[in-house]
Amino acid sequence: MSFEALANWIHNWLYETLHPTVALLVEFAIVGVLIIGLFAVLGLVLVMMERKVSSWMQLRLGPNRIGPWGWFQTVADTVKLIVKEGMTPNNVDKLLFNLAPMLVIVVSMVIMAPIMFAKGIQIWDINIGVLFVAAVSSLSIIGVLMAGWASNNKYSLLGAMRSGAQIVSYELSAGLSILVIVVLTGSLKMSDIVMAQADGWWLFKGHVPAIIAFVIFIIAATAETNRAPFDLAEAESELTAGFHTEYSGMKFALFFLAEYVNIFVVCAIGATLFLGGWMPFHIGSWEGFNHVMDYIPSSVWFFGKTFLLIFVIMWFRWTFPRLRIDQLLSLEWKYLLPISMFNILLVTIIALAGWHF
Amino acid sequence: MTLKQYFKDIFTGVKSLATGMRVTGGYFLRHHKEKITEQYPDNRDKLVLAERFRGEVVMTHDDNNEHACTGCTACELACPNGTIKIITKFDMTPEGKKKKALDTFIYHLELCTMCNLCVEACPTSAITMAPTFEHSVFDRSQLIKKLNKPGSKIREGVE
Amino acid sequence: MTLAQIVFYLLAAFTLVMAWLSVSARQLFRSAIWLLFALVGVAGIYFWMEMEFIAAVQIVVYVGGVVVLIIFSIFLTNQSGDDMPLAGIRRRIAAALAVLFGIGFTASLVAGQSFTASTQVFDNEVSRIGHAMLDTGVGGYALPFEAVSLLLLAAMVGCIVIAMKDGGKEKINSAATAAATEQNQQ
Repeated sequence: MSFEALANWIHNWLYETLHPTVALLVEFAIVGVLIIGLFAVLGLVLVMMERKVSSWMQLRLGPNRIGPWGWFQTVADTVKLIVKEGMTPNNVDKLLFNLAPMLVIVVSMVIMAPIMFAKGIQIWDINIGVLFVAAVSSLSIIGVLMAGWASNNKYSLLGAMRSGAQIVSYELSAGLSILVIVVLTGSLKMSDIVMAQADGWWLFKGHVPAIIAFVIFIIAATAETNRAPFDLAEAESELTAGFHTEYSGMKFALFFLAEYVNIFVVCAIGATLFLGGWMPFHIGSWEGFNHVMDYIPSSVWFFGKTFLLIFVIMWFRWTFPRLRIDQLLSLEWKYLLPISMFNILLVTIIALAGWHF
Repeated sequence: MTLKQYFKDIFTGVKSLATGMRVTGGYFLRHHKEKITEQYPDNRDKLVLAERFRGEVVMTHDDNNEHACTGCTACELACPNGTIKIITKFDMTPEGKKKKALDTFIYHLELCTMCNLCVEACPTSAITMAPTFEHSVFDRSQLIKKLNKPGSKIREGVE
Repeated sequence: MTLAQIVFYLLAAFTLVMAWLSVSARQLFRSAIWLLFALVGVAGIYFWMEMEFIAAVQIVVYVGGVVVLIIFSIFLTNQSGDDMPLAGIRRRIAAALAVLFGIGFTASLVAGQSFTASTQVFDNEVSRIGHAMLDTGVGGYALPFEAVSLLLLAAMVGCIVIAMKDGGKEKINSAATAAATEQNQQ
């Protein structure tokens, strides 16, 4: 039984047995529990993946003591963070200090809504799909600014300012590269974007503009998630830990978790827009090949593509040195933004002339 | 900045990024063959340390229990934190002349930062850095070491 | 009461409380944060009305843009962490009068309208909004849309004038600031 059938069966059963309002609330609760479970699993898996990828790229072993090949290291880390005291320093703005990590994590949860995890598995097929993601992800900066200001610490404030300048700038080129695919598809809806790629992914169908947009999207996504080489907001060597210098225990863990979940979200969006989401890899008229590809479940396709992009972003992190703030902003305003504006023009011409496949 | 320069910048930038990614990607693919991690307590017997690893200062003695230290105190003067203390004595040469010689070379391992300045200052290359690092003891007085072996004397011909 | 009504009252109460906190907070930064939550609450009401596009634009423009810029300017000013002094009695009376006038004005406008439930199926397709924006015919919004973009241009020119080192005569500056404020109000 596929996930889609299971979800539909639960949906129908709930609406048959319960009052619609109660059934809706029960569905909310189920989705909430699933999302929290996904968060926990993503946190464990992605942190482990990051540590293993980094160690292998530096010819090290990585964590190898707890469990087979060290796979339970992150579980041990999580237990440690949970039992650690969540300190609130003196002279901080206590309300905002405690609110900031929760805001960040709630924003990451909300962005999950329009993502298609598999065929027919989507929390909310909202008709503004990618615009919703772009809008809500701009909220996460508020949590960072809040944490930076409430900590009453110069490093935190500087980190928050840098992170703010960075996210506000890179949102533009991220939005423009998303627009390229919206122009090609003619819809903002996630399900429409995925369906439009049934005969080939936009990365291959959209010619040069789609490839340029993909590269710009990956760069902007790396910057928006505050990861190296754009991790000025928490540059360890200059700002200790940036905006979360004063955080410890579970509050720090929430920031840490939100960072990794955000990576997953931007990579999922990238996979949906450019690599066809849960769509299997199809080549034109090769019936046999396409048929074999269809046997791989759609969730495997989605998570495979997403983790491929996550790997690329981790590859960036363990290869490139950190940018200076002026280099960061000139990269955005002098290079990425003009190129993506030109790219939008190009793709509009292609879409109007119908030159794409 | 001309338009040509602009596109050239982009091209060279992308190319240099790709070069870097090829290096780390290559490491990632053959990481299991080229591990550089030393799993220290497990491989204690066949531990390979880097050639330039600096663990402590030692004085080299040859088979005849002879060293090359003239007691000139250049190392003592070079040391930034007073790790070395040299006590000299006067030997009698066969011609009946008095000659300054090393009596005790006292080395405070607990003060040493392994900066290598003493080794560079030594005019006769009498001391070197040894790649030993298991220095922990139960009492810090054990960290004060006498580097010249008992009964050793200066090698013939070293001035 | 249906679930939809409960959600509406929750959203409305949230927005109002946050708006009240925003004007009554003594610290500038907290005030900005409460303003942000009030704007998010308004976006929530748009979502409740199934006007998703407007809600997203509300979040992008106001929360992601305007409030972040406000917070930035707060960070750059001195003593942003100190309590602001309480307003004098005259300012309080003036503010109360302004609020009362605003409430009265809005209430009289609302009371003058007769609201009838629409039976027409509501179409919130994004492409329709896009077509309406660029429509030059009757009922099209091409002219207002262009006028707004002109305003953006004016604000940009104003910013450049302010940022220029010695091109800043007092007159140009004040005009540019006015343009920028107007832009914010849009």
